[in-house]
Amino acid sequence: MSQRAVTFTREQIAAYAEASGDRNPIHLDDGFARSVGLPGVIAHGMLQMGVAATVAADAAGGSDRLRRLSVRFAGMVVPGDTVTFSAEPAGEGKLEIRAINQRGEPVLTKSTAEYQLRGG
Amino acid sequence: MAAVAGRTYPAVTFEVDPERAAAFARAIGADPAEGVPPTFAAVYSLGTTAPQLFTDEEAAVDFARLLHAEQEFEWSRHPRAGEAVTSRGRVASDTSRRGMRFVSFETDTTDAEGAPICRSRALFVIRS
Repeated sequence: MSQRAVTFTREQIAAYAEASGDRNPIHLDDGFARSVGLPGVIAHGMLQMGVAATVAADAAGGSDRLRRLSVRFAGMVVPGDTVTFSAEPAGEGKLEIRAINQRGEPVLTKSTAEYQLRGG
Repeated sequence: MAAVAGRTYPAVTFEVDPERAAAFARAIGADPAEGVPPTFAAVYSLGTTAPQLFTDEEAAVDFARLLHAEQEFEWSRHPRAGEAVTSRGRVASDTSRRGMRFVSFETDTTDAEGAPICRSRALFVIRS
């Protein structure tokens, strides 16, 4: 099983916003985020998916082998949250992905990956 | 609200900028030396086409009430840094139930020869 625990920071969320081009103020501006009913800035779901992909790539033997990744965004991630991402074999060339925060709540659910086997 | 299932958008060509792909890799904790991260598809596939849906007045997607509920990428291969790829987005389905609108948005990304690179499937939920 591949596993990685990530404590999300404002800096990481801002770096992802810059690199991805998703500069929605709910990820960058606490005041704006509160004005739309959030507790403050939240991490991009696609940032969570990106981290999940690195864990899936480890389990697959390299990111170039990843052929499919599917996630459901189930919970908010705010700066300071620690999320443990894991990828566990679920049949030949298949992985089950989990992402659980420090309170034991899943932030990604129904998440699976497929990869190309060696020599495939 | 408008139901726009079947709607397609014009192709968008995007060049995978090596520095931006490397910055993206660092932001997700990947090694930039391993090449373009798979989920850079969020940029070259979903990111190039979803704005066409969001700015389509007839589709009338209220971005302020939009939730990205699910995302899937299927890759035939991963693009190389510097490569130009072309993406075409379409509304695969658009349904409403219990005051929520569910828009499934699919994007096919191909290389310069038209060979497949990635298919993105996003599920957007719009609260009414």
